[in-house]
Amino acid sequence: MIDIFQINPGLWMILAGLICALVPKGDTFALVRKVFIIGAPIFAGVMITQIYTSQEVLAGQITIGGLELTTLRIDNLSMVWGYLFCLIAVINGIYGFHEKCRITDSSALIYAGAAIAGVFSGDLLTLFLFWELTAISSVFLIWKGGKRAYAAGIRYLALHVLSGVLLLAGAIFYAHSNGGDYSFNAIGTDTLGGWLILFAIGIKCGFPFLHMWMQDAYPKASITGTVILSAFTTKMAIYALARGYVGVDILIYIGAIMTCFPVFFALIENDLRRVLAFSLNNQLGFMVCGIGIGTELALNGVVGQVFVHVIFKSLLFMSIGAVMYRVGTAKASELGGLFRSMPITAVFCLIGAGSIAAFPLLAAFVTKAMIISAVIYEAAYNPGLYVIAAMLLFASAGVMEHSGIKVPYFTFFSHDSGRRVKEAPWNMLVAMGLAALLCIVLAFPWGGYQILYSLMPYEPNYQPYTVDHVVFQLQLLFAAISAFCVLKKFKLYPAEKRGEILDFDWTYRKLGLGIMQWIGAMWTRLSVQTKRLRERAIESAGRRLFQVFSPAGAMSESAPSGLAAVLTAAMLIIVLIFVYFIR
Amino acid sequence: MTDKNEPETLSRKELEERQNAHPFAVPFLWLGNQKVIDNFIWLPVLGMIAMIALGIVFPQAKPAPWDAIPGSWALIGFVAYSFIVLCAKPLTALLSRDETYYGEGGLPDPEYSTEHSSGDHHD
Repeated sequence: MIDIFQINPGLWMILAGLICALVPKGDTFALVRKVFIIGAPIFAGVMITQIYTSQEVLAGQITIGGLELTTLRIDNLSMVWGYLFCLIAVINGIYGFHEKCRITDSSALIYAGAAIAGVFSGDLLTLFLFWELTAISSVFLIWKGGKRAYAAGIRYLALHVLSGVLLLAGAIFYAHSNGGDYSFNAIGTDTLGGWLILFAIGIKCGFPFLHMWMQDAYPKASITGTVILSAFTTKMAIYALARGYVGVDILIYIGAIMTCFPVFFALIENDLRRVLAFSLNNQLGFMVCGIGIGTELALNGVVGQVFVHVIFKSLLFMSIGAVMYRVGTAKASELGGLFRSMPITAVFCLIGAGSIAAFPLLAAFVTKAMIISAVIYEAAYNPGLYVIAAMLLFASAGVMEHSGIKVPYFTFFSHDSGRRVKEAPWNMLVAMGLAALLCIVLAFPWGGYQILYSLMPYEPNYQPYTVDHVVFQLQLLFAAISAFCVLKKFKLYPAEKRGEILDFDWTYRKLGLGIMQWIGAMWTRLSVQTKRLRERAIESAGRRLFQVFSPAGAMSESAPSGLAAVLTAAMLIIVLIFVYFIR
Repeated sequence: MTDKNEPETLSRKELEERQNAHPFAVPFLWLGNQKVIDNFIWLPVLGMIAMIALGIVFPQAKPAPWDAIPGSWALIGFVAYSFIVLCAKPLTALLSRDETYYGEGGLPDPEYSTEHSSGDHHD
């Protein structure tokens, strides 16, 4: 008999997604799907509670082709991601309640289930399986964005499948250098396999110059699709880094660059969903940097930041999605003054914006400070890290610009666009309300952030609400807002303009095309130069073959059997030596 | 015809604005007032000054080298923010293209969108 507590909780959601795909169309059946889409993550969350007992749980072992796979591993790290993914899947389910789309419902469930199953994987091969499933299932959410999303979906799929292939190759190399052990624990960068896996994670995580898929695909997905997409893929990659690459120095620098470069792109971007995608990239940088630092404080900060980030980033995507649902666009140049029509959405967006900017009493205030403090504390031993700390502070001002000010200001305030629309549908308001409530509760000084602390992998002894921390954080934030007001007053703040902002993929395309053209030209030249040489070589080879194999050739001459035996023995020796050395 | 509860001093434009606004937004319509917008700057500036003063009284428990300068975080915030925003002009000139640059036409959301974009393909 099957023990259901041996089954990876993500598989229940995948099963629910498959059932949803089979549920017929129609309003009554849409309701059935909605029951699944909200009920399945709750059930998965309950299963995690039942399986996890404060000790590491390894279960669901199966043997395939001589390889023993551990399909379920719940410990104090994976448990956080598991709960978080279940929670956000419920909120997303409520947000998309109005949408009667079978593809969205089923792919959202399979995608979330694959992400949960992925973080609960005990070995690299199981991880690979769910890694690829997240890519395949999520692309449908992008394609639901309409005609213009098709090509972006293909690009997204290509990059994510490549990431999966690299993960598999890395897993094989890593296991080969690790005595055939595929278990998913600390990997590091000592082996080729380790580097390949890091590269695979880097694609999914949006490392600098590998990030373009995020800003390409997310803004083109359907309204609900973007909200769902923002929660799982990148955070699954962060989990993989936190599991396999803690304390790897290169991540500090990668993370610091990740925090800084998106702020410039977000500044000049007009599509607010793309602005939020850049902002997502920037926030991931803080997490990557914290993993690279690798101290207990940094890792606690990373885990806390992942938890609150999923919530406030979803809240921001939800609020802009609600605006897009009512107004029909998410372009800053077309919006403004919407607080008159959508005041509740505006309040929720402001809570999300305050959370991401790390205002006291709002979500990221506690967690981001833990990461920055961890860098500053480590800088006492390695002064070079002060540069990294300064970069993180610079990026914090950048966050204030694109997510703290730009998104709510150009949507709900700024000049009045004259659009008078209805407030968001009730289900969207409920979902945003839940997320906003969590943003406040998880940073509340009296019994609030302590909930977050209870999820952290190490005993947290960091006090976030000290006078100096509150005062210095407010210095930074008030100064950034003051700068915004001054720049606005002197008309130095750029007006929002419609346009396409080139990203780094342009360089790849130009570079790729240039390289291909160069190779083509070189090949043509080489062909001309070597034509005579090749003709001579072929002619000479033909002549020699004729001399050997023709009726008058050497092979047709009679030879003593002793010579044949010697030749055969020599051939055998050569083969034996060859086989011996290549083993 | 105006509502009995509406003050008589309101102009026709203001009355119209109230009628078109969401009921929850009515008490906050002053946020759109030009005077309020113009004077909003004082709020963050005064907040910043207060925090700089408090920062001198309550210094960082574990200071970084830049914390030796009073109001260092305010300075970082102001300079960093201004630098980012002032980069917009050269960056736009360098990176911005026409909206139809990639020629991936279609609607952002086929069910709800009011936009349309299409154009020639560029590499």
